[in-house]
Amino acid sequence: MTMIKKIKENLFLLIVALAYIIMFIVKPAMGVESVKSSGYYIKEMLMIMPVIFILTALLDMWVPKEKIIQYLGKSAKAKGIFLSFVVGSISAGPVYAAFPMCIMLHKKGASIRNVVIILSSWAVIKIPMLLNEAKFLGLKFMATRWILTVISIIVFSWIAEKMIKDEDLPGEVLTQDGLHVNRDACMACTLCERNYPELFMMENKKAQVKSYETLDMNKLDNAIRACPVKAISYNENKEMKICTTLK
Amino acid sequence: MDIFTLIIWISTLVFLGISIAKDKVKTKQALKMALGMGKGMAGSIFSIIFAIGLILTLIPPAKIAEFLSTQSVLLATVGGALLGTITLVPAFIAFPLVGTLIHAGVSVVPSVAFLTTLTMVGVVTLPLENKAFGAKFTAVRNGLSFIFAIAIALAMGVMI
Repeated sequence: MTMIKKIKENLFLLIVALAYIIMFIVKPAMGVESVKSSGYYIKEMLMIMPVIFILTALLDMWVPKEKIIQYLGKSAKAKGIFLSFVVGSISAGPVYAAFPMCIMLHKKGASIRNVVIILSSWAVIKIPMLLNEAKFLGLKFMATRWILTVISIIVFSWIAEKMIKDEDLPGEVLTQDGLHVNRDACMACTLCERNYPELFMMENKKAQVKSYETLDMNKLDNAIRACPVKAISYNENKEMKICTTLK
Repeated sequence: MDIFTLIIWISTLVFLGISIAKDKVKTKQALKMALGMGKGMAGSIFSIIFAIGLILTLIPPAKIAEFLSTQSVLLATVGGALLGTITLVPAFIAFPLVGTLIHAGVSVVPSVAFLTTLTMVGVVTLPLENKAFGAKFTAVRNGLSFIFAIAIALAMGVMI
């Protein structure tokens, strides 16, 4: 059971590893070349990911939820759209660098539409990329593609918001009763365990709630706030119930 | 390191300095959180990177250029968009490549379709996007991006 789950969670990694093994057996030269061209991307990743993680965590700590809602929430309207384009455009690095930042923003109240805008503009129209495009394809080509892309993003982010609800994203389980760990969102950072070792434990690389009789609200609050993906939720109004989603 | 990466690094370090001055405990917690995020994503990121390396070897940019320039415009556009979806050629290779094609007289429509899907839609990043945002978000965003990439390419064909 746990074996199957592990395989399922790392399926992509396994497929890639398998592809390399086959490649090295069938065509060793191509295998070597693949590893070599991966080298560039590792460098690109190392240049940007550490700083993105730190920036995301710092913003999460210091920017209050109300501010995010005010500037990037549903009611921010045109201001939110404009700001999202700015955030995406002044970014750097590959599109997956935008993921942790966008999860954090969404969890703090940014709308789906603005998350889609940030992700898409991060991918296509960030300024360093535009400069490169103008250099090789001309200013007119770049400017035309930029205008068309911006219009497209405005339109399809609107469609996306109509199609996707906030609850469709993992980590949105705030309506559940009692104490709950969203195991799909949990990234096994062990922060909850360190903040409240009597209540949380790690099992199969996921956080798990131990059985409890009383709760230290201070410690629980710390653990909830420390969780980088906001996978822990607690609803005290309703009847206390543990839902650890054990499968 | 390009200037934007540098600016992000500098402003983050300044931010970090202010954070330490204001609240050491909170800063420590933030750094732990950053480390946790990094650990959580590391496996997926390395899978992505090695998958890109593999795809780049199997479908080299030169082959893509050949395909875009020899097929009929319709086939090259759809094919270009699909190639852009499955590959992830770095911008400093993709732009000069497409530049050469267009200067050689190849239609802009397939080239733009390729360029746009290249960055906006990603097969290799799907597993991670799925993990981060859920299946529905990932399907909708990538699907819409693909459709609009072709629309952008067609509009470019008319305008340029």
